[in-house]
Amino acid sequence: MAAPKVVITGSGAVCAGGMHPEEILAGIVEGRSAIGPIRQWDTTNWPTHLAGEIPDFNPRALVDDRKLHKLIRRTDLVGLYAASRAIELSGIVAQRDALAPEAAAAYSDRTGVIVGSGGGNFQNQYDYFPLMTEAHGDLKAFGSELGSNVNPMWLLRTLPNNVLGHIGIKHGLKGTNACITSHSIGGLLAVIEAMEALRAGEADRVVAVGHETPIEPQMVLYYYRMGLLASETLRPFDVARDGSQFGEGAGALVLETEASASHRSAPVLGEVLGSGYATEAQGLLAIRADGDGPARAMAQALDDAGLKAADVGMIVAHANGTPQSDTTEAAAIRTVFGGAAPPVTGFKWAFGHLIAAAGIIEAVIALAALKRHIVPGIATLRTLDPACEGLPVSARAQTPRSDIAMILCRGFSGTNAALLVRSA
Amino acid sequence: MNDARRRVAVTGVGLVTPVGNDVATTWDALLAGRSGGAEISLFDASGFSTHIAAEVKDFRNTLVTDRKLFKFTNRSHRFMLEAAEQALRDAGIRPTADDAHRWGCAVGAGMMTADFDDLVETHAHCAAGGELDADLLLTDRPANDPLVFCRGQAAEGLALLTRQYRIHGYATSVHTACASGGQAFGTAMKLIRRGYVDRVLAGGFDSMISPIGVAGFCLLSALSADNATPQRASRPFDATRNGFLLGEGAGFVVLEEWEAARARGAHIYAELAGDGNSLSSYRITDSPPDGDGPIQAMRQALADARATTGDIDYINAHGTSTPMNDRSESAAIHAVFGAGTARVAVSSTKSSMGHLIAAAGAVEGVVCALAIDRGEMPVNANLRDRDPDCDLDLVVGAPRRQRVRMTMSNSFGFGGSNSCIVMRHPEEVDGRAGQGG
Repeated sequence: MAAPKVVITGSGAVCAGGMHPEEILAGIVEGRSAIGPIRQWDTTNWPTHLAGEIPDFNPRALVDDRKLHKLIRRTDLVGLYAASRAIELSGIVAQRDALAPEAAAAYSDRTGVIVGSGGGNFQNQYDYFPLMTEAHGDLKAFGSELGSNVNPMWLLRTLPNNVLGHIGIKHGLKGTNACITSHSIGGLLAVIEAMEALRAGEADRVVAVGHETPIEPQMVLYYYRMGLLASETLRPFDVARDGSQFGEGAGALVLETEASASHRSAPVLGEVLGSGYATEAQGLLAIRADGDGPARAMAQALDDAGLKAADVGMIVAHANGTPQSDTTEAAAIRTVFGGAAPPVTGFKWAFGHLIAAAGIIEAVIALAALKRHIVPGIATLRTLDPACEGLPVSARAQTPRSDIAMILCRGFSGTNAALLVRSA
Repeated sequence: MNDARRRVAVTGVGLVTPVGNDVATTWDALLAGRSGGAEISLFDASGFSTHIAAEVKDFRNTLVTDRKLFKFTNRSHRFMLEAAEQALRDAGIRPTADDAHRWGCAVGAGMMTADFDDLVETHAHCAAGGELDADLLLTDRPANDPLVFCRGQAAEGLALLTRQYRIHGYATSVHTACASGGQAFGTAMKLIRRGYVDRVLAGGFDSMISPIGVAGFCLLSALSADNATPQRASRPFDATRNGFLLGEGAGFVVLEEWEAARARGAHIYAELAGDGNSLSSYRITDSPPDGDGPIQAMRQALADARATTGDIDYINAHGTSTPMNDRSESAAIHAVFGAGTARVAVSSTKSSMGHLIAAAGAVEGVVCALAIDRGEMPVNANLRDRDPDCDLDLVVGAPRRQRVRMTMSNSFGFGGSNSCIVMRHPEEVDGRAGQGG
């Protein structure tokens, strides 16, 4: 039996650029970067002070259930928000709720949730600081005073898989599930695993989510010390680029088998065509200079989708603005597409690097861009790095060559994933 | 369903557990029902409501001795390196330059936090009054040390393994709390079925026996506070059970596409035959008393393995020894097996090892592979006063020695993820024993 076609029936996104995919895309198309001064703490004395924070961050606007706010973190708020938007748009829960109890239960069991999450953070552990002060370095006192000083729900707030658990509870979804904590590729891997679960018949519908809010002092400081942050502006593929910038937010997609979607005449936003994956295995931070990983991931994705390089209408590169990453991506695109690459762009310059949410929010925005028949420009690009010569990037908008986008995503541990989507 | 799908063989196993730093020692302890529980020695836990745990004892890395690697590791990563190397040696195969891209890696990693000593240093420097002064982070030693960052990254285990063994295919790190290890095995099996890779190094590793880890569980009252009797503290399915015993360690397997394993004459412990996954969507910390959630995972795993309840000879239960889990799991087993419940042997090896959290499902998956390979079922230790709500054929007193056709391993996590892994005896697959040529 041939694997079923996998369609997309819902999407959601939140980041510095906005609360909806179209709003975020509009900002990118207008050439506006939403990256600005960090407001979560005073960075006056800091060597780095820019990131893509969600403006006027309002927990109530993201998750209306106030009781839940005590049980989850900032990163969970954005993940739950994006997932709920995607679920509402797709109409899957509304459809389930109209069924008789037995059929509804079966529907829930055949609806999965797969999440890419950032895993732990540093800030959460500071909750123990008041207790540590009180204990004066005495672990015995630390242990005995625990209950009166720390939120009893501390461990639950800290779970990396909170978005998974709470989407399940809120929407009554009970099918196949996973929480992937593989740094930047987690969100895109959630989409890939969702597609594979549908292909293998493990579910009829899967909600894929990626979320992360990495803008906290200790995290920013590490990336700064490791030389990964831009001094002023994130300029992918530019000769003067000098690093990336953090953003925060989430992306979500509802994937279904074509049969599942057609049962209720769901609005189909697009189709997931195939994926590829390759590891470079150089350690946590290092990557190969020849672009081997991204090239293999993209070639595999074409193979998996049964497509030729010429079929791809646009490439959304990882384009994080660090010197080595961008150059190796350009090399990988040359390897796979030869001299005939479609228009290439990237979105991180506009709202920052969302780490675990990066790949999935970029897939969401890519679908919105294909729908408008536009390849948004990289507005911060001034002079193309000669090492990226021939790469069809531009500060201005281009026109996609077809209704198919390749999304490339890379993460720590030398991981590379590529996804092919077609717009409806 | 495609009947021609690729089968997956378990050809190498590795364990570092509270009852043994290798497979043989651990297995002997599990057959004897020896407990790894004791007073916590890793730090002064005397002030905590629970100050017992099942620590890995007298551990040092004997197989991977590259000192350069260790600066990137926390305690759980060192268990990981040892167990993974054991599994690869046992399998007698490892990635080469020619097939590196046909190897994958899937791990269940623990909830990564900074080492407590680093947190203490940051507190002293930046938050002496109790609140963080962010400016002081700029001159704080741990906050400026990239190695502290690396050790605390969820993907660091993956980075260490893929680099050490030159694994160039699909590599992923998953975390669904106590279901992580089981889900890593399930993911690994699917990678081979899909044809993404031919071999996978898969496992789980965790250590939460630290002040912050123990504190988190104490705050939730999840741990047994039987501080005077640590070896009896974990007693799954006993009427007097009162919480779990925190363990630590790592379990790894080498998985191979079946025909490739046979072709090279590998010893096959078992077929990794089925994976089931569900969400309870009930509460973050519990499954419902009627077993809803775990029931679906077990049924899916059986269907995925193309097996029926009558094929299963042994269940390695999640069996945490918390009042709720064991009752819910028993209800789930009854719902799935019906009248056949009386004919399937069950034990929770957490009765000996404690709860290894993100490593639990992986370690217990290895236990199932060993049960099939050796024809032995480990005991459910510490059962004295049976809970009438947990009416199962528990393996008590002595291990059972019999041919084990198929096994089931349950792992249920905080957050509501339920994982069930089903394995099959190699003779049931192709009529040949596991022993390779």
